[in-house]
Amino acid sequence: MSAAQLSRQAAKRQSLHWRPLLVKVFNHSILILFTVIIVYPVLWMILASFKTPGELISNIWGLPASPAYQNYADAWEKARLGRALLNSGIVSIGAVLAVVCLSSIAGYAFAKFSFRFSTVILLVFVFTMQAPVPIIPFYVLFVRLKLTDSYLGLILAIASGTIPLSIFIFQAFFRSIPNELREAAKIDGCSEFAAFLRVVMPISGPAVATVSILTFVGAWNEYFMPLLLIRSDELRPLTLTIQVFFLQFGRAEWNVIFATLSIASIPMILIYVLLQRWFIRGLTSGSIKG
Amino acid sequence: MPATAKPKNAPLKEWLRRAAKLSPYLWVLPALTVYGIFKLYPLVSGLQMSLLRWDGIEEPRYIGLRNFQRILSDEMTATVLMNNVHYAVGTVVGKIVLSLFLAILLHQALRGRTFYRTSLFMPVVMSFVVVGVLWSWLFNPQFGLINSLLRGLGLDFLVQDWLGDAAVALNSLILVDIWKWYGFHMVIFLAGLQSIPDELYEAARIDGASGWQQFLHVTLPMLHPVMIVNVTISVMGAFNVFDIPFIMTAGGPANATNVMALHIYIRGFKFYRFGFSAALSYVLLVIVTLVAAIQLKLMTSGDNTD
Repeated sequence: MSAAQLSRQAAKRQSLHWRPLLVKVFNHSILILFTVIIVYPVLWMILASFKTPGELISNIWGLPASPAYQNYADAWEKARLGRALLNSGIVSIGAVLAVVCLSSIAGYAFAKFSFRFSTVILLVFVFTMQAPVPIIPFYVLFVRLKLTDSYLGLILAIASGTIPLSIFIFQAFFRSIPNELREAAKIDGCSEFAAFLRVVMPISGPAVATVSILTFVGAWNEYFMPLLLIRSDELRPLTLTIQVFFLQFGRAEWNVIFATLSIASIPMILIYVLLQRWFIRGLTSGSIKG
Repeated sequence: MPATAKPKNAPLKEWLRRAAKLSPYLWVLPALTVYGIFKLYPLVSGLQMSLLRWDGIEEPRYIGLRNFQRILSDEMTATVLMNNVHYAVGTVVGKIVLSLFLAILLHQALRGRTFYRTSLFMPVVMSFVVVGVLWSWLFNPQFGLINSLLRGLGLDFLVQDWLGDAAVALNSLILVDIWKWYGFHMVIFLAGLQSIPDELYEAARIDGASGWQQFLHVTLPMLHPVMIVNVTISVMGAFNVFDIPFIMTAGGPANATNVMALHIYIRGFKFYRFGFSAALSYVLLVIVTLVAAIQLKLMTSGDNTD
């Protein structure tokens, strides 16, 4: 072997030695770049919510000179965020309760009983759940049932969209529960429904959590349904309130707008960071099996 | 059940048990009722409304298929649909390429994986209203973060009126949509990557496959099912998109960001053309169904050649 060959080999070995480190540096820089692209606008929004209108224009990148807490007081009062938070809470919790009750019971039937048309019903779900609902007949239906401008109407509107996916999630979970459990409960004198309620549901925490998170986040962030169905100021949920406020004051008071945006999103982000495993699993559960 | 109540209720309980066994339908009924009334019924009852000339207040007039004829001859329909197609191509390509790339990076043994994953997924839990309002300021031509950043980097030629320029606005909305969702698709790809057995890569390495060849011949084919899921979700999202254009641009400037769902809403609730709007909904429904069918057909027929 010539000296040149030897040195080339040595260089190759050297580069092989360095390669994993280079790959690591490359991976981390790309991931950090994209993390910054995602996180920075949100952090910036929170910073901006403490700035004065002047600072928003003159001091785009820096920290606020002294935090303008007044923005939050203004946001809370002018946009009536207290009421909006209450409305969003009622509708989201209502939707979670409705979806969990209705779809766990139905999911159990699809998992454990065999009956005619069960496949047909499931196929109807599969083919219609993604279909965009024609909004005119949808709206007219709610007007005729006198369900516009009501919590109940909004809850039903949101719940009806989430039911099929939730049934599939519950069904898959109940399939994994051994039949012996339910048989044992029935031997002890429980009716089928009591067995479901007292034996099966208490060990179905993961499925309940998945469906609850999926429904809650969807309902909390829902914008189109309240836009369509809610008319009075008192019943506006957070999303609609922010949008109306943005249209009214947006051009003039961006700092207050950023305070409303922060109030609307920080609680959800905090809960998400604390429960991130559950959130990620819940929100992608429709797409990933198991 | 308390044990003492057992003998008393025995016949009732027996009857209940039998009823439950005979009619699982009772279990399905509550969910089906809600779904039937609020989802399936409007899908059907709108068909009749699409044949009407109706402003929602006065007596409706039956006009046959004239709404559909008008939709087909209306130039607006083509404009709006092309915007949806443009939006779909932009968001689907952007989301898939970006999220697959990041998922592959994140799939390696890497410190801080959970941190990256948690951060990149975060916009998924935010409302489109918050995201839309925030980004309409970031896109502000004078004081927004984007133009300020470009000026700071000396890229002045890229500075523009992101939402006000008809040639750019739709692409700006596409960027926001990608920003909000790529973390979601990344997590799904990551789950797919984790299900690929290591032996396949080992075998490929023994055969002398390079990293790129391993990606082409092992990773991509094995990710095919997850790819179908990701593409389907983002295609459907693109054809149903409403929130982002409604909040950020209201379809403007000059209909440059007007999409089907927005067009339907504006015809119905700004111009009170209920019949026309209902008819438009069915046009969208047919298009969404066709697109989904074609896309699934294309992606699943590829399976045989692999």
